[in-house]
Amino acid sequence: MSTTEYAHPEALVSAEWVSEHLNDPDVRIIESNEDVLLYDTGHIPGAVHVDWRRDLNDQIQRDYLDPKAFARLASRIGITPETTIVFYGDKSNWWATYALWVFTLFGHEDLRILNGGRDKWIAEKRTLTREVPKIAPTQYPVPPKRDDKTIRAFAEEALAHSNAKKPLIDVRSPGEYKGEITHMPEYPQEGVLRGGHIPSAVSVPWKTAVQEDGTFKPGAELRKIYQENLGFNPEDETIVYCRIGERSSHTWFVLTKLLGFEKVRNYDGSWTEWGNKVRAPIERST
Amino acid sequence: MLPFGMYPKGLQSIIDLFEKLSDEEKRETLISYADQASKWGPRVGENFDLEDVRKDEECTDTVGVFLRVLPDDQAVFRITLGPQVQTLTRAMASILCRGFQGAPITQILDVPADFVPRIVGSDLIRVRSQTVYYVLTRMKSICKVFSDRRRAVMARAQ
Repeated sequence: MSTTEYAHPEALVSAEWVSEHLNDPDVRIIESNEDVLLYDTGHIPGAVHVDWRRDLNDQIQRDYLDPKAFARLASRIGITPETTIVFYGDKSNWWATYALWVFTLFGHEDLRILNGGRDKWIAEKRTLTREVPKIAPTQYPVPPKRDDKTIRAFAEEALAHSNAKKPLIDVRSPGEYKGEITHMPEYPQEGVLRGGHIPSAVSVPWKTAVQEDGTFKPGAELRKIYQENLGFNPEDETIVYCRIGERSSHTWFVLTKLLGFEKVRNYDGSWTEWGNKVRAPIERST
Repeated sequence: MLPFGMYPKGLQSIIDLFEKLSDEEKRETLISYADQASKWGPRVGENFDLEDVRKDEECTDTVGVFLRVLPDDQAVFRITLGPQVQTLTRAMASILCRGFQGAPITQILDVPADFVPRIVGSDLIRVRSQTVYYVLTRMKSICKVFSDRRRAVMARAQ
């Protein structure tokens, strides 16, 4: 692997690339945001909206949609297992990487991120439209399973990881990690009873991986930060977490797709589960 | 004091309108209100009795609330919103500026927040979009400050 390139450069596309593929029938562009109405105010021409809560989460219990529901969603947005999907969104692509991670659970292969997300597209003064594309539904086959083992971690596994002192990365803000606050800066409280972090977790805020314009730092710089400076190893089993799994999806993308780490799991229950869990061990630091 | 379930006239008519709309129409109307949010900014030459511009922890960008109180106690609001403020919050700012037009500040202070889901619809109210309530809180809080100060001035004068 070159020292300047990403491990999987195909996982990242530029706004220019997207512009050139707006009418490509083999490419579907998906916008996923935190701001629930942002897509309606204007989106990339031809892009469809996938709402993280309505479309990707189970509507009753805290979990993701099942394979049948995924097939229904995929069919509705007109994709086949061969479609190249490009995700983009607000908040430096938090929800775009989250959606990409969820699609990975169902084995869809060609998944990419628009580098810099929605803000970068707008900064380059590229066209937005309010016209919702008319999509011809497909018959996406029901995936055999949702793979909850390879890239997803649960609380028990995070605890075992913590006890074994295996690499555990807390990507929240320093104040949340230290236990000074129980919500993200600039966000309302999301119902967490205790503050702090999972014992042995290392604080590496998600923002470490991005530049001022929301694009990812170059591969060499990321390697220097995560591998040389922080000592994470691409072969190690690593777990990442945040509050509800979206910021950690961002770091999961960085580690797996940009740096080529092979065994990274996202603990999507994250702090909103851990910080409420009876007798879950918590560490605080000053 | 507002009788239970009563809102300022302007706000009530907006609530009535939204309650007749389908989810899709609600979304479109909210976008339309969000688009108009910038029109509610301070105009050249306008003076205010109180100005409160700040960035609080629970909102993603700076929000400025400007209040002028007319001689008959009617409130006139102007609002500025930073570019990162969410669309729903922008829509609510615009709805409240319009809905509170002509309402006395004592009435605004009593407005309950239970109308918000009636306008927005429960589907769009989420933990991450709770800042939709934020603008109402800020508008009521500036009215409260104005009211307290006025009461203090009157007490001193007696």
